[in-house]
Amino acid sequence: MFFNSNKKVESHIDGFSHLGEGASFEGEIHSKGELEVAGKVKGNISAKTLKILETGKVTGHVNAERVEILGCMLGNTSSLNIHVGEKGVVRGDLRFEINLSVAEGADVLGHVQKAKKDKNKKVDNEKVRYLEHNQRAS
Amino acid sequence: MPSVILNDTILKGNFVEKDSVSINGAFVGDIKAEEIIIKDHGNVNGNLNAGTNIEVNGEVVGDLSADRIHLTNFAKVRGKLFHKNLSVEEGAQLEITAQTRKRISNLNKE
Repeated sequence: MFFNSNKKVESHIDGFSHLGEGASFEGEIHSKGELEVAGKVKGNISAKTLKILETGKVTGHVNAERVEILGCMLGNTSSLNIHVGEKGVVRGDLRFEINLSVAEGADVLGHVQKAKKDKNKKVDNEKVRYLEHNQRAS
Repeated sequence: MPSVILNDTILKGNFVEKDSVSINGAFVGDIKAEEIIIKDHGNVNGNLNAGTNIEVNGEVVGDLSADRIHLTNFAKVRGKLFHKNLSVEEGAQLEITAQTRKRISNLNKE
């Protein structure tokens, strides 16, 4: 309990929202910052950073820039970076753009896919322009 | 550990918490908890149902029921209140009907 109270003070300073262990929420969550889930959430979550703690359970789709799954995640996750902890349980697809890390002992069932970055498309556009320019020149 | 919803977060749905909840963001839906604190930037559209205590420092549209309800000077509240103890600070903007009840906790268990 002592550590928990310390964490609480930290959370205020660092500035992230927290859904406690005794919490259960049904519905949508939109966060522009960091969100920590220690309770149960049913519904879709969009956040900058989402951390599902060991006691946390999320049922729904997640869209974020960084996702840490230390608890239970049922549903599809799409994010730039995904980390699954050693006690993490995932039932659903993981779609990431930059980095995926799965700790030893994690339980994952679902498709894992590295999505193409938007940057690649931009490069393609530049190539096309370059080729067109060459054609005109010739 | 209590739940904390910050300024940058919007929740839509029903929230049940065994511990306390402090809300500084936007919330659409009903909240049921042991203690509910709505902070300065908190904006709630829905019913609040607390076991012990509700403190409002932000905006609430909906019904509030708790043993103790405290409305501070920045509070904006519209709705019905059910309470044992009600305290209102100078400056609170209210559009409410208030009812004192002997037993609020029974209401919450339903």
